[in-house]
Amino acid sequence: MSAAAAGQYAAATLDNLRLPVSYWSADLKLLSWNPAFAERFSCFPAGIPTGITRDRFIDAVERAGLLVQIETRPAETGEATDAPTLYFSDGSIYRLESWQAPDGCRTTICLDITTAQRNERALRKARDAATAADQSKSRFLRAANHDLRQPLAAMKILIYSCIGAREEAERQQALHAMEVSVAIMEDLLGALLNIGQLDAGRIHPSIQTFQISAILERLRIQFDHQAREKGLELRIIPSTAAVVSDRVLLERILSNFVSNAIRYTEVGRVVIGCKQAGGQLQVHVIDTGPGIAPEFREEIFEEFFRISKHQDKRRHSLGLGLNISRRLADILGHRIMLRSLPGRGSDFAIEMPVGNIWHSTISEPEISEQIGGEFAGLACLLLEDDPHVREALAALLERWGITVLNLVDLSDIPRSLAALDRAPDIIVTDYRLHREYLGTEIVNEVNDILEKPCPALVITADTGPELIAGIRAQGYPVLIKPVGPPGLRVVMHNLLFEPEAVPELN
Amino acid sequence: MRTDPIRIGSMVPLSGTSASDGREFRNGLIMAAGEINARGGILGRRIEPVFADTGSQTAEVVVRAARGLIATHGVSAIINGYNIGPQNSEYEPIADAGIIYIHHNTLLQHHDTVASDPERYFGCFMGDPAEYWYGQGFIKFISWLRDTGRWKPRNRRIAVISGPKPYSIVIANAMDACAAQFGWTPAFPPRIMRSLKTDWGALLDEVRGTDPAVLAFTHFHAGDLAKFHLEFMRRPLPALLYLQYGALHKSFSEIVGPQGRGTIVGTVIGLLRDEPGRRFTEAYKAQFGPHSTPEIGCQPYVALHHYAIAAAVAGGVGDPGDFAANRRIAEVLLQLPYRSVAGMIRYHPKWQAAVPYPDATSDPSMGLPHLFYQLHEPEDAPALIAPEPFADSAFELPPWLAR
Repeated sequence: MSAAAAGQYAAATLDNLRLPVSYWSADLKLLSWNPAFAERFSCFPAGIPTGITRDRFIDAVERAGLLVQIETRPAETGEATDAPTLYFSDGSIYRLESWQAPDGCRTTICLDITTAQRNERALRKARDAATAADQSKSRFLRAANHDLRQPLAAMKILIYSCIGAREEAERQQALHAMEVSVAIMEDLLGALLNIGQLDAGRIHPSIQTFQISAILERLRIQFDHQAREKGLELRIIPSTAAVVSDRVLLERILSNFVSNAIRYTEVGRVVIGCKQAGGQLQVHVIDTGPGIAPEFREEIFEEFFRISKHQDKRRHSLGLGLNISRRLADILGHRIMLRSLPGRGSDFAIEMPVGNIWHSTISEPEISEQIGGEFAGLACLLLEDDPHVREALAALLERWGITVLNLVDLSDIPRSLAALDRAPDIIVTDYRLHREYLGTEIVNEVNDILEKPCPALVITADTGPELIAGIRAQGYPVLIKPVGPPGLRVVMHNLLFEPEAVPELN
Repeated sequence: MRTDPIRIGSMVPLSGTSASDGREFRNGLIMAAGEINARGGILGRRIEPVFADTGSQTAEVVVRAARGLIATHGVSAIINGYNIGPQNSEYEPIADAGIIYIHHNTLLQHHDTVASDPERYFGCFMGDPAEYWYGQGFIKFISWLRDTGRWKPRNRRIAVISGPKPYSIVIANAMDACAAQFGWTPAFPPRIMRSLKTDWGALLDEVRGTDPAVLAFTHFHAGDLAKFHLEFMRRPLPALLYLQYGALHKSFSEIVGPQGRGTIVGTVIGLLRDEPGRRFTEAYKAQFGPHSTPEIGCQPYVALHHYAIAAAVAGGVGDPGDFAANRRIAEVLLQLPYRSVAGMIRYHPKWQAAVPYPDATSDPSMGLPHLFYQLHEPEDAPALIAPEPFADSAFELPPWLAR
């Protein structure tokens, strides 16, 4: 084979090669390249200029937006002097391998490592997740072993003293202490499970716009009693702001702040208040507790951190609350702030974006008549002795947001009425109850006792026209069984709100 | 291939207290049918509307109308505005026949009835959102006025008065229930008026004693609202005044005149003032006269167009008893939102009612706008002041507060 033919074949080989290949001079100027190279770097409108320097070449492909990043790593093997990784804007990743000839010129090829790279990344992620889960499990078991032992040991002793108790008061005392121990274990397990979920990356926030007042109110309900029992004042300053956050996670963070504030404050008060600035709302939980020394202000957010072991034993704290709070805040992208003066108190705050009040969602996930219907919040005394009819009617009334009441003993109406949690707003009665009682008579007796007599309607399976006319003559509307929801709804509405529209009453 | 006309029933109060609305509902349906027929009908079949007068709008009358439309006229669907009295009892003959029913009763009861048996009530749709949203939306509206500095309330108290109908009561309860979350304190539990033959002066004096910054009256009838409003204006309370939907009626402004200026009124289904809305208004007035009200007629107009598209996509309409065909139409109605002259009609998959914006979605392209107006002079169109991006005017302090 002639040298010319060999050269031709070599050129044809390079032309057909699907790998981008290029040839550079010793002073790093581009001398030649194959079509695959030209195709890969197709950002030169007039074609790649011969003799372009490497720096200008890279600059051009970067400017064109073709190349996103070049990562240089030290050479690992062979003659390759270095093997930078090229990240292209179309998502593909190439490794640039080059070999130097004795005259100083270089041959480079671009190897497509996109798939390999992605697989490696996925494998690394899976390995990290597995390691984290494993560590988390070990930590969980360690913590569980350490912290649940104490209340469990206490339970054991309490069970024995309960068995051996000679007096009722003694037994009650032991039972109460057991209840406390169980509550502590519940709290500990809850916190550990939270950490477990965080470690496993299983917490996915649901971001919404809502009124911060809804959370403040829940905090009040949750902690008011606890604070008062400890002789502390819990003051919540109202706010009308809408915020963008996750209801549940934000409440968990603030609950941790408030519960810590109450736990560590012996005298004075805990104040929850909001401050709005620059499109952000800060919710502050300020206490008059012992405060936190400057050296601990970072550490308190670490897992299982305790300032004093003795203190914690007494207060049943795992030292997880603030760690959970910080990690949840990280997930939400909210900032936690802490100011504290030892001896004077602490101020824990979390900052989140202010929302558009129009987009504010009410806490109810789904609206229904149970929440917003015309009968919602009313009470109905339902007198019906057929268990199936009673069950169906009660289910219907409850779906409309009505509390269903029952009289336990028809032979003693005053006592049965007194036993009710609240007075009825309306009565629905079967006409014949237990054979000997008539619904209308019971209604009359009930209304004689009630401070505010309430309207009633009668349901009956009897279709005798005389009987029905008789009931109507007494001023009670009648519905024939089986009672349909629309019919019942119309009569109930009229009795309660438009008595003029009930023919029997006029 | 069938070529006989498709009969669409409509239960409209052409007599009685709601007759003026009934006429507009009839107009809207006639106009939509005309437009669809001009395009060749639904898959080649012309639409023929059949109207039943529901005058008193009681359960008995409306149920009889539904039965008549189905049994006598064999309607494939019933499409209309609202009927106040039947409390969903008309759903029964409609569910028995398995046809499509689109109404604008604006009642939360609809959610409950559909949810109680979705199989049975597959064809029952409410073309507008439940009245419940009026309450929540109004509280957000006044909070928005307050928080953006458009209005400085004197205090946090809100007084709510309701009429005797379920619609009014639900709105009043909803306002009361969510007021606190938005920083308002109810001056008293919603006052439900069992009778509207009332001495409004005495009631207003009683309300004055509680010194509210906001007074809302959730009854809807234009005549009653006008009487209430005139009494209010005799000695205005230093409060923002909200009246329910009916105050948008011409009859209200005819009675109240320039004294209406400054009053806030809302609707969960209205006519948008964008290009398609304006075009519809012009065509409607050209067809039914300059004193007709396209804002009301648009309800069945929109619903019939949506139904026609759904029926065409589903492969045709279904006669009474043809459950399979009507189920296909119901599915398309749920799957295919329709941007109408009133805004986006997107049926909630469970409620089978239009989803309101911004009350239940923060995306204006995904819900029917809950519009807030402020009345100006009787000859002016009410100023549309919220929500964005539909508003075309700014809120102004009512004259009795500006003084």
